[in-house]
Amino acid sequence: MDFQIVSFIASGILVIIGLYGVFFVDNILKKIIALDILGNGVNLVLITIGYNGGTIPIKLPNVPVDVFAKKSAYPLTQALVLTNIVIEASMLAVMLGVSIILYKKYKTLKSSVILKED
Amino acid sequence: MNYLPMIIIFPLIMAIIMNLLHGKENIVKYLTFLIAIILIILPFIGQYGYYYFGGFGVIDGWVSGIAYYYNPLKQVVLVVLAIIASLVLITGMGEKLKNNMFVTLSLMGFASVAAMVLADDLFNFYVFFEIISIVQVGLLFLSGTEEAYKSGLRYMIMGNIAASLMLLGIAFLLASTGTLNITDMKNYILSDNPMIFGGLLLLVVGLAYGSGLPPFHNVKVDLYARSKGFISAILQTYSKFILVGFMLIILKLFNGLSYFSGTHAVLLALGVLAMVFGVVMALLQSDYKKLLSYHAISQAGYVATGLALGTPLGIVAGIFHAINHVIYKSALFLGAYIVSHKKGSDLHKLGGLLPIMPSVAFMVLCAKLAISGVPPFNGFQSKWMLAQAAMQVNMPEIAIIMIIVSIGTFVSMMKAFYLIYLKPVDEETIKEYQSRGVPKLAVFSLFILTSLCIILGIYPEIVTKYLFSYANELGVSYCLK
Repeated sequence: MDFQIVSFIASGILVIIGLYGVFFVDNILKKIIALDILGNGVNLVLITIGYNGGTIPIKLPNVPVDVFAKKSAYPLTQALVLTNIVIEASMLAVMLGVSIILYKKYKTLKSSVILKED
Repeated sequence: MNYLPMIIIFPLIMAIIMNLLHGKENIVKYLTFLIAIILIILPFIGQYGYYYFGGFGVIDGWVSGIAYYYNPLKQVVLVVLAIIASLVLITGMGEKLKNNMFVTLSLMGFASVAAMVLADDLFNFYVFFEIISIVQVGLLFLSGTEEAYKSGLRYMIMGNIAASLMLLGIAFLLASTGTLNITDMKNYILSDNPMIFGGLLLLVVGLAYGSGLPPFHNVKVDLYARSKGFISAILQTYSKFILVGFMLIILKLFNGLSYFSGTHAVLLALGVLAMVFGVVMALLQSDYKKLLSYHAISQAGYVATGLALGTPLGIVAGIFHAINHVIYKSALFLGAYIVSHKKGSDLHKLGGLLPIMPSVAFMVLCAKLAISGVPPFNGFQSKWMLAQAAMQVNMPEIAIIMIIVSIGTFVSMMKAFYLIYLKPVDEETIKEYQSRGVPKLAVFSLFILTSLCIILGIYPEIVTKYLFSYANELGVSYCLK
């Protein structure tokens, strides 16, 4: 089967698993893992958009721009995914830190207890 | 040479330096004052037009690098942002705890919001969108209470969902146009492609989160209500200008296209819902900070409605209302901060503060009249313009809702004024009030904000004359039958 289609289906499944986990799983750590899965699904979408069966996108000095653009994969998406991984890692780190603080207070990881409206 | 990127680079560098100055309170204080003055100068040193990072610019029609676009409208927005940021920084100088963290985070926030307003590149916009959500949570954690951690975690979970969906929307737009530069993308977006429509709707999810429109209003209210008084002032300023920056991008890309009409309806509905929810919830609150926070949501609804109308007058009115709103709402939050120095923020326990601090009471009353849209204050001017813009496109129902919501705002604001300043109290409470001081720097900031309220109320054209040229470029005139 076409590589791109398989990849899109996989990323769709990841996004759905992520959204399901965030909304319906009670454990706060599992919620955070689900957010990670959701983010990875989106990253996979970006990578797949850039893939067109081309070569690695490194522009050598003797290659003209239009030949390079036709032959290589789309380099923009790869840069985006790298940036996004860094941002997401920092977000998740802050969230894990806060859940440790709240765990010490409540001695449980149930989000129905920790995040209860008051 | 164009010094435009200094608006973003200077605060980020100063944020890093401030982060290293932990424990050196005196240096932090002087440096904060210096930064507060420089921030106001920053919006004036850039040149109008496009700016490309890296010096490559456009080569054979290929846009390379992060792009910024600067014009008078964005300059006005940045000047107001800088004024409020420096007033809040000056107010924060009077506080003792973790001052350098507060300065670091608010400078990072200033840089991110400035970048979001200037951005001509969707991914740069997304990166700063994520940074600002971490910054807001960090500012919330400075208050250090358990509720703050709870609502911070809730805010971040919601934020991660919204940001991921927004990135998915950007991915859709990238897939169907092949570029992320907004000016460039505009040329490829004309076709009636369902993928572009999907991308647009996913962007709206990010918009709702960033500005606190429903369904994200609860987490935003908790964010405002549980941080310290003067910090809520800067937080709500960030949210309003994120909304303005976001709407400018959406309007620049999509306004006037055939499939945008459906999104118009979605945005208008979000705006109207935010207006009504905000004011109805505010009427029920007994905590002063929470009441003000719900009003912040309600006024965000006004801004969103004005911008979503998409006509030149609607855009001008929306941005003018955003500017007015950040001014008077910051004044109100500073007033709440001064009151909390005397005795908390529970409306049922307060009262009788008018003889203790009559000048603060007068200034807060001015801000309260401004938020309810009473002439001659600035809130009246922009609400009038919003109602006119709604009438111009033949949507009188929106104008009527705006006026009804204004009345609700007036009622709850006057209730709060009575309970805090006028309600008679016993001798003991008055002695308690007199034993506690007033933060002088906060009163100074409050004075400047109140004078801005009155000046903009009498001479609105100081601001509006700069808004019309770009609004005419973005807006599309139409009239419903």
